[in-house]
Amino acid sequence: MGTKVEEEWKKGSADLLILSLLEDQQRHGYEIAKLIEVRSGGALHFHVASLYPSLYRLEKRGWIQGRWVEKSNQRRRRYYRLTAEGQRVLGLQRKKWQEFAGAVGRVAGVQHA
Amino acid sequence: MPEWNLEIRKHLAGLHLRPEREEEIVEELSDHLQQRYEEFRARGANDDAALREVMGEIYWRDFVPELQILERTPWPDSEPQGAPASGRFFDDLWKDLRYALRMLRKSPGFTAVAVLTLALGIGANTAVFTVVDSLILNPLPVEKISTLAAVNTTLAKKTAQSGDLQAISYLNLKEIRERTHSFGRLAGHSYPMAVTMTDKDQPRRVFAEIVTANYFETLGIHPFLGRFFLPTEDTTPGVAPVAVLGYTAWQNRFGADLGVLGRTIRLNETAFTIVGIGPKGFKGVYAVFGPDLWVPSMMAEQVLPAEQRNALSDRALPLFTGIGRLEPGVTLAQARAELKITGAALEKEDPNVNEGKVLAITPLIEAAYGRERQPVVFGGFLLMAIVGFVLLIACSNVANLLLARASVRRQEIAVRMALGAGRQRLIRQLLTESVLLGLSSGVLGFAFGYAGCRILESLRPAEYAQNLADLRLNTPVFVFAFAIAILTGLIFGIVPALRSSRVSVSEVLKEETRSPGRSRSRVTLANALLAGQVAVSLVLLVVAGLFLRSIEHEYIIDPGFQTKHLALFMLYPGQAGYDRVRTEQFYKQELDRIGRIPGIDSVSWASNLPLWGRQETGIAVEGQEARKKSEAISAVVDTVDLNYFSTMGIPLVEGRDFSENDRDIATPVAIINDTMAAKYWPDQDALGKRFQLPQGRAFLQVVGVAKTTNYQTLGEPPQACIYVPLRQNYTDSMILYLRSERDPSTVLSAVQEEIHSFDPGLPVEDIRTGAKVIDQALWWSKIGVGLLGVFGFLALGLASVGLYGIMAYSVNQRRREIGVRMALGANQGNVSLLVLRQGMTVVGIGVVVGMTLALLLGRVLSRFLYGVSGSDPVSLGAASLALLVVAFVACYVPARRASRVDPLVALRES
Repeated sequence: MGTKVEEEWKKGSADLLILSLLEDQQRHGYEIAKLIEVRSGGALHFHVASLYPSLYRLEKRGWIQGRWVEKSNQRRRRYYRLTAEGQRVLGLQRKKWQEFAGAVGRVAGVQHA
Repeated sequence: MPEWNLEIRKHLAGLHLRPEREEEIVEELSDHLQQRYEEFRARGANDDAALREVMGEIYWRDFVPELQILERTPWPDSEPQGAPASGRFFDDLWKDLRYALRMLRKSPGFTAVAVLTLALGIGANTAVFTVVDSLILNPLPVEKISTLAAVNTTLAKKTAQSGDLQAISYLNLKEIRERTHSFGRLAGHSYPMAVTMTDKDQPRRVFAEIVTANYFETLGIHPFLGRFFLPTEDTTPGVAPVAVLGYTAWQNRFGADLGVLGRTIRLNETAFTIVGIGPKGFKGVYAVFGPDLWVPSMMAEQVLPAEQRNALSDRALPLFTGIGRLEPGVTLAQARAELKITGAALEKEDPNVNEGKVLAITPLIEAAYGRERQPVVFGGFLLMAIVGFVLLIACSNVANLLLARASVRRQEIAVRMALGAGRQRLIRQLLTESVLLGLSSGVLGFAFGYAGCRILESLRPAEYAQNLADLRLNTPVFVFAFAIAILTGLIFGIVPALRSSRVSVSEVLKEETRSPGRSRSRVTLANALLAGQVAVSLVLLVVAGLFLRSIEHEYIIDPGFQTKHLALFMLYPGQAGYDRVRTEQFYKQELDRIGRIPGIDSVSWASNLPLWGRQETGIAVEGQEARKKSEAISAVVDTVDLNYFSTMGIPLVEGRDFSENDRDIATPVAIINDTMAAKYWPDQDALGKRFQLPQGRAFLQVVGVAKTTNYQTLGEPPQACIYVPLRQNYTDSMILYLRSERDPSTVLSAVQEEIHSFDPGLPVEDIRTGAKVIDQALWWSKIGVGLLGVFGFLALGLASVGLYGIMAYSVNQRRREIGVRMALGANQGNVSLLVLRQGMTVVGIGVVVGMTLALLLGRVLSRFLYGVSGSDPVSLGAASLALLVVAFVACYVPARRASRVDPLVALRES
């Protein structure tokens, strides 16, 4: 469980993270959470309370679209994919994040990866 | 596998999501939690540890408010709604409107019920307002009706009674026009008279008014097509056979043919040229019944029946009602004073005709009804009040729905306040929602009202539909519907808006799940509204019941003549161009031949329609001439042929019927009714006594006394009546009366064939059976009672839906409490009873209040009722019973649901 500050950071980047993960293929909620955890090396952890409201919000905005998919031998699951609008937003957010991270890095004297 | 579903549902409950949405979220989340759980298990945690880990990760405290905001606040707008007033009114309004639309779309069930409820109320109001507007407020589409007045004569001793207004003769009208300066213009018009119109060989009965050339100009109306009469067409009798068609007649009888101008039609065998078409919606100056066409006064002789042919030269023959346009600045009182002088002068110059009569002046808007005005106005405003109450019920229903919803929306509102929305801004937003609701209902309600008006119009008796007033849905009606739609939105919205905006942000946001949310005052307010609805519906039902019972009594009134085996044929031989010899031959021959048709008992002719008798004034009794002329005797006068009394089933109490021998003009005879005999020859034998008719010089000898019947209205007080024999009193417009052995409808076609075989050119359009005569006499009352009934049941329906809604809501809110009771040992019966008692207490209070109001109202209504008292126990009892039964059902269904509450589920819910 992170500190308050970490929570806020996470919230700010949640949209970008989710959109990025959906860029190449559709995924369900658990998969998204798992990937965030794995790819961040365990540094970022999205639990139910923060992940799903974010997903629903993105869906309402029309950036991602969820649909129920049934596969053999498992319960039906809701898969989310990026919409064209989401694709555009993702590009925009990536750019902004780069600028932001760069700016923070320059100010804080951190080498930006 | 752990029960994720239950756990998730428990936390979502307070959000009141749509069930489908909630289902989706539950499914998605439980799948997630299950995978997470399996992950922990795979890492080696035992069941309990894995469960603890998963549960520990969820943070419901974050989840629920996040979801709340997400589901309740609109997207994609990133700006928080209900933001502080931006100062840009229209921007805010636009934002509020879009938000309100989304909110309404989000709960389609609530929106549908609310809109339908209000639309029914608004529709009823629109329809009734249309009737009131068309018949009472703006009955005549003429220019500045307030400066128009009708001029009539009346007897000196009772000037106040508008019911006794009589027409003015042509010569008197001319004198008045020349001597009076209060009126800029003074025109005259006759009653609508039945004439035979022949267009392309097809004879039809239509109604024509004889008017002076300046009639249309005085009213300030303009022709729809063509022109009105020229002054030159109204100076010499008989030279200008021109006619103006009414708009409705042009539409219906001439198929709106634009080529109708210049066409020739025959009116009573005289060729007339159509020169113009009247304006749309104008059907003369009588509010209810109007003519199909107008002819100039100089053509009077060509359209009037034989006995009135000298109307233009006989000062004693009343024909016209004057219509005057007051000069600017002249008041009605000044005009009245001037006419008094004119009337006195006329009386002095021609005492024979004018003695005892004065001129009466009435605002046109009142004169438009004659004696019918009072009941029409009363009925109109009673209906208006009733639908007003129906609308109030609808409003309080929707207010209750909004109050119930308010508890659900508390969190949303708290969130918005937390985001900085001011209370005023919130109220404005909530009111925008309710006004929007009102307006959408207004649109639907206007459609309902329109449909209602069309239905009402279709109920007009078919024979006269074209001559009866149309219901006009015009701008005032539209404005009215629009205004009440907005007003209702404000009425039902204001209290819930004030209440729901009074929330404590911190309190509500802390409530993670549903709260009992049942503040004492909210329930009290809802109950008060409910009791009020019950009371008002009861009053409406009682009123409908009272009038229903009243009309039931009217139907069984004995009019004094038989109606079961009676049929009437209105024939106008004089209008088919018959001369006197041919007409008399026709009367005699048809009496004989129709009398021989099998199934017909007896046949006769009479000049009056049943219940359409007109009084004549100026009868003088021999030996009582000393009476002042101002106390002239009036009586209904009917010209009848042989066998009239047996055909009508009117018994003769003394003397004899008319006979073949009553032909000699030298000894004129008459039969009077017992009311007249008792009034003018009290304590003597009326037989052999003599009297004079107003127009005649000769004395008529009484040869028989008949029983009194109803002559003008059903159940009227007895009035004097004189019958004179057709063979001594020629007229060319008589009505054929027949008495059948069985149902009169079985012989109608045989009679029609017989008349047709005599002359195919005679129109036989207007045929009535006795039952229809009674039906038509009660037509207004029937329509009124029908409307009262419809509105009474509408009110009952709305009130019971409201009752059901509130009971169901309250049961739902009290599930936990009910669960506790049941857990503590209450059985299903106890619980049902608890809920029923709660509901029926409110109903009971409503019934008591309603009953008191109904009794008070009954006193006021009693003078409009026939044969029932205002506190008629049958009406009161039936109305309360109907209401209690419906209310019981409305409470019973939720009560049963309450008894089915599973205490386990209910207690776990919070």
